[in-house]
Amino acid sequence: MTSETGFDPALYDRFPIRKARPKGELGELERIWAAPTGWARLTVINNNYIGLWYVGTAFLFFILAGILALVMRTQLALPLNGVLPQETYNQFFTMHGTIMMFLFAVPIMEAIGVLLLPQMLGARDLPFPRLSAYAFWAYFAGGLSFFASLFFGLAPSGGWFMYPPLTNMTYSPGINADFWLLGIGFIEISAIAGAIEIIVGVMRTRAPGMTLDKIPIFAWAMLVFAVMIIIAFPAVILATLLLELERALNWPFFDATRGGDPMLWQHLFWFFGHPEVYIIFLPAAGLVSMMVGALSRTTLVGYRLVVLAMLATGFISFGVWAHHMFTTGMPTMSIAFFSAASMAVSIPAGIQVFAWIATLASGRPRYNTPTLFLIGGLVTFVIGGLSGVMVAMVPFDWQVHDTHFIVAHLHYVLIGGSVFPLFAAFYFWAPMSSRHALSERVGKWVFWLMFIGMQVTFLPMHLTGLMGMPRRVYTYLPGSDWVVTNFISTIGAYMIGAGVLLFVVELFRSFRFSVDDSAGNVYEGGTLEWAPAGIYSVRSIPVVNSRQPLWDNPDLGKDIKAGRYLLPMSATGNRETIISSPLRAEPQYLEIMPLPSAWPLTAALSTAGAFLLLTVQAYGVAIASGVVAVISLLRWLWETDRPVALKLADVGGGIKLPTYATGPSTHGWWAMVTVLIVIGMVFLMTIFSYVFVYGIHPQYWSAPPDRLWLIPILGGYAAAAGLALLGRHLLAREKSTKWSPPTQILLAAAALGGAFTADFGSWRLHGLDPELSAQGALVMAFLVEQAQLVAVSVLMALYLAARTSSGLLSRPRNNSFDLTVLFIVYTAAQASLSSLLTRLFPGGL
Amino acid sequence: MRRWTFVLGGLLVWAAHFFLLYGFASLFPGERLVRTLSLAATIPALAADAALLWFGAARRRRADCNKLERWLAGLAILGAAISIVAVMWQALAAAIG
Amino acid sequence: MSPLISMRSATRMLQGWPPPLLDPAGPYAGSTTLLAWVLFGMGALVLLLVLAALWVALFGRAEQRAKLGGPTLIWIGGVAFPVVVLSLLLVYGLSLTRSLSGPIRGDEMRVRVTGEMWWWRVAYLDGDRQPFLHDANELHIPAGRPVVLELESADVIHSFWVPRLSGKLDMIPGRRNLMRIQADAPGVYGGQCAEYCGGPHALMGFTVIAHAPAEFARLMQSRLRASDASAPATPEAALGARLFQSTGCAACHRIAGTPANGLAGPDLTHVGSRRTLGAGILPNNRGTMMGWIGNSQAIKPGNRMPPYTVLSGEELGALAAYLEERK
Repeated sequence: MTSETGFDPALYDRFPIRKARPKGELGELERIWAAPTGWARLTVINNNYIGLWYVGTAFLFFILAGILALVMRTQLALPLNGVLPQETYNQFFTMHGTIMMFLFAVPIMEAIGVLLLPQMLGARDLPFPRLSAYAFWAYFAGGLSFFASLFFGLAPSGGWFMYPPLTNMTYSPGINADFWLLGIGFIEISAIAGAIEIIVGVMRTRAPGMTLDKIPIFAWAMLVFAVMIIIAFPAVILATLLLELERALNWPFFDATRGGDPMLWQHLFWFFGHPEVYIIFLPAAGLVSMMVGALSRTTLVGYRLVVLAMLATGFISFGVWAHHMFTTGMPTMSIAFFSAASMAVSIPAGIQVFAWIATLASGRPRYNTPTLFLIGGLVTFVIGGLSGVMVAMVPFDWQVHDTHFIVAHLHYVLIGGSVFPLFAAFYFWAPMSSRHALSERVGKWVFWLMFIGMQVTFLPMHLTGLMGMPRRVYTYLPGSDWVVTNFISTIGAYMIGAGVLLFVVELFRSFRFSVDDSAGNVYEGGTLEWAPAGIYSVRSIPVVNSRQPLWDNPDLGKDIKAGRYLLPMSATGNRETIISSPLRAEPQYLEIMPLPSAWPLTAALSTAGAFLLLTVQAYGVAIASGVVAVISLLRWLWETDRPVALKLADVGGGIKLPTYATGPSTHGWWAMVTVLIVIGMVFLMTIFSYVFVYGIHPQYWSAPPDRLWLIPILGGYAAAAGLALLGRHLLAREKSTKWSPPTQILLAAAALGGAFTADFGSWRLHGLDPELSAQGALVMAFLVEQAQLVAVSVLMALYLAARTSSGLLSRPRNNSFDLTVLFIVYTAAQASLSSLLTRLFPGGL
Repeated sequence: MRRWTFVLGGLLVWAAHFFLLYGFASLFPGERLVRTLSLAATIPALAADAALLWFGAARRRRADCNKLERWLAGLAILGAAISIVAVMWQALAAAIG
Repeated sequence: MSPLISMRSATRMLQGWPPPLLDPAGPYAGSTTLLAWVLFGMGALVLLLVLAALWVALFGRAEQRAKLGGPTLIWIGGVAFPVVVLSLLLVYGLSLTRSLSGPIRGDEMRVRVTGEMWWWRVAYLDGDRQPFLHDANELHIPAGRPVVLELESADVIHSFWVPRLSGKLDMIPGRRNLMRIQADAPGVYGGQCAEYCGGPHALMGFTVIAHAPAEFARLMQSRLRASDASAPATPEAALGARLFQSTGCAACHRIAGTPANGLAGPDLTHVGSRRTLGAGILPNNRGTMMGWIGNSQAIKPGNRMPPYTVLSGEELGALAAYLEERK
């Protein structure tokens, strides 16, 4: 056998260990993992709770946005209907799209990941439970206050795509548009936090033996999903940042009269926006691939093809953003490239659909609610996919773009590809978290109401579009051909509404949350989440030999419960989980996990407060709230990264794992690299914006400051990186004093500050005015990004100094130290690149 | 890292090819020039895909290839195959678009 | 009933069928209609195949199901079949795109259409591409000839779309997009703004009227003469003319040959001959004109024209009479 880490796989053969476990061990495990009770329940960080609250909140947003849709359909049932006034309708459709996309579809996938992944992978929890709690609360508080803006008439009305110039200060003077930017700010934070969790979780916390070819297909889907978020969200982060800067400070990124370009927004938005569709679809497809096998009692046909399909989707979906822009007058050749990529991206979808059909054929499908939702979803998704191929054909898109044909198309894709699979998943996995399963009899009513309602609503809507009805219209004229199909669509919408209402009633009737006493494996799934589990997930972490371990080893559940596998107890008296290697999942070390804490909660609420208060322009309080957020964050981190006394822990079978690890193979390092990729993508998108805007309006550009300035700037950044690396070197040397390594870090932070001051100062001396031209605005945007990185570096350096003075700096290596060095070196590199770019291009050409 | 580059090789080739073509179309004036450059860029892309196919197949034939390696090589082969189709479609777009 | 839509309906036997997208009136829309039918056929065929496979997978005999239950189905249905079908479609779609966006010769009739919140400014351009005739919300073209439109925007993004004549093209601030339309036969073709532009985006219609070439030439001649401004014909219209100057209409609207030269709103030099008011939403007659001037906000909420509720019915009538004569 080969090994990835030097671990001997022959050790796996020792499990299950027949020897009885000591008494009291399980009680200890339960005590350590017990959730706080009473009001302290709010400080819970365990994935069973956070996951379920997360799913519940996301589902609440589905219902709220669905209600908006019903009111809109009522307005459109008849021509010149008076249910919704124009401005309210515009707010409704903006909120419907925004909430469904940002506050329902993405969060619910992350929520299901948080809830299911640890159990599926055989981990105790996700690697950063406090981050999960933070992401959830930020989303909860921010999402609800965003929705509440509707009740005050302050909701945005620029559409979920928020095209400037309609959304700039001239045409949207109220704070409504700022509320949109706020709402999106939250999903950006929580989506990226969740993505980091998921990437590190899937890659590093898998049960021993769960090699890449044995991962539950849902975990593959979530991995691709999370990486796509990391790549796609930075575009919308930058877009929202630029738009807010344009609104608040009058920097003309998108203003054609001052050298900006409204098309820049569309590129940035859709570079995020189209992958977003697949970000929503992939996890749902992963759920389908899981369920379609389990429900027909067979394994997924074409597992590897499906994995490939997901990977391919992850790549190719980044080459289709401009197919939302076929009608903007782009050059024919560019359009052709995007059309071809739009075709290519449909092949992976086809592979998955036929894999599901083949799986159904190879097994024994049963007539139950989740199967119905799967099949209903499959048919609906195929129809949506076919109309998707149609709109990938450019001349056809020129006609149907921005009509109700597209509305029909996208609802077929999203409801068939995502909502129906989610309902199947609700039915399938509810028994895992609830004392009772959901009623099959009611479930079939729910399905047929939703399925027929869906077809009645959206099938005629294709025709409405072909008859020329544009999207985003609050009314239409009497006597038009659009009356009949619109009326039918409204009837269908109410059928969907009735189905969802019935489901909600059923939830209240049957769903009773329980971790230890759940209804269990009603549909007889074969993956690890169906192994007997408590709040600590599985009692002992099994060695995995196949994709459906519970089917292939009927005794597995019993053995797991009896503690016959790895880590049947708490080895160090702390919460802990096994960190394993990325390819072969060989156990590497024990992660000591954090305990429940109120700090993620206060950090989240004060982050929400800061954003909200900024939006209503209460700047003083907003800053105070932001300071509280930073303090809470540092306070929560303060308790982490502390080596325990026991250096090597016996996790059973004679396998001894270190309890503290440092360097590039740690989960913390992985998370930091992921964060840096996000920051790097924002930077890359800024470079794109810079070059793009120059290409459109070069006549507005002027020469940069004297190039000699580059000497102190680059020198300062190089010194910062050098000092940081020197600090890391000193930390490992026995002879160095307690303070000499962190002093290098403080000096490095100072060097960053100095170099940044030189960069910023030279532009100001040169007369840079960000309000005057898009060049000024973009250079300033680069500087804003740099300033943020430098500020975080300084904060990290001070934090490290504080840890040093409290004696928390372990030697020879320390994770907090390593990550600070990593961040400072990255900051120096990015800052150097951006000062080079803005000074040499185009001025230096 | 090298293993991931191999497994995702085909898709990376597609991505490089696509963004290169998009870059040509955005940066250079004149359709004829863009067309020529794009078709020229297609040749190394297809060659890289072919090389991946060959390497993948060779790796699968090696006696010491374990189950996971074989599986990953299979994934690389599939990725290269889909990449060939997608790259050819991009080239088609360059030729007649 | 809006004339825009009723006239279109009258040309068709069945209410709503064929929908305008499948009922092209010129070459630029026509080739797309053929593509649409090919796509619908492809879609129906593939859907049937998938449904058939699904049916067999669920309810088929054991040996049939066994045949489907392996990776071969994925290779055939999910890979080979789509690659072949999509390759064919791609070639078709790309060549069609190319042929629809071929180079513009430069000797076509040119009109500049500028999207405004929430109406359309129309300027007919001469050989030097200079405007020689101004209008709004309505475009007259000769049938059987291509016409090039210069699409621009004065404020936010709009999209120009007359489905029976061509696909849509956006009007983007800071850019000029060129579009070709052609109507093979005289007729009236309705359109509507297709890019969400805020407020009453739903009520931003447009009309293209194609004339036989000789008739078109006569129309243009008479318009040019009208631009020299004819005096009001009746005492009522004369009162309207005075009111037009005194109540503030002239600050935003232009009537060629008179002191009224406001540029913020639609040019009213030929408003009397327009088929619709308020950008395609009302038929144009004395009553609707009075209603529109009196309180357009009740008809098209959010539009930029203030309500003139201070005017008496008599005054509104006089204004309408004056404007009615502006052919």
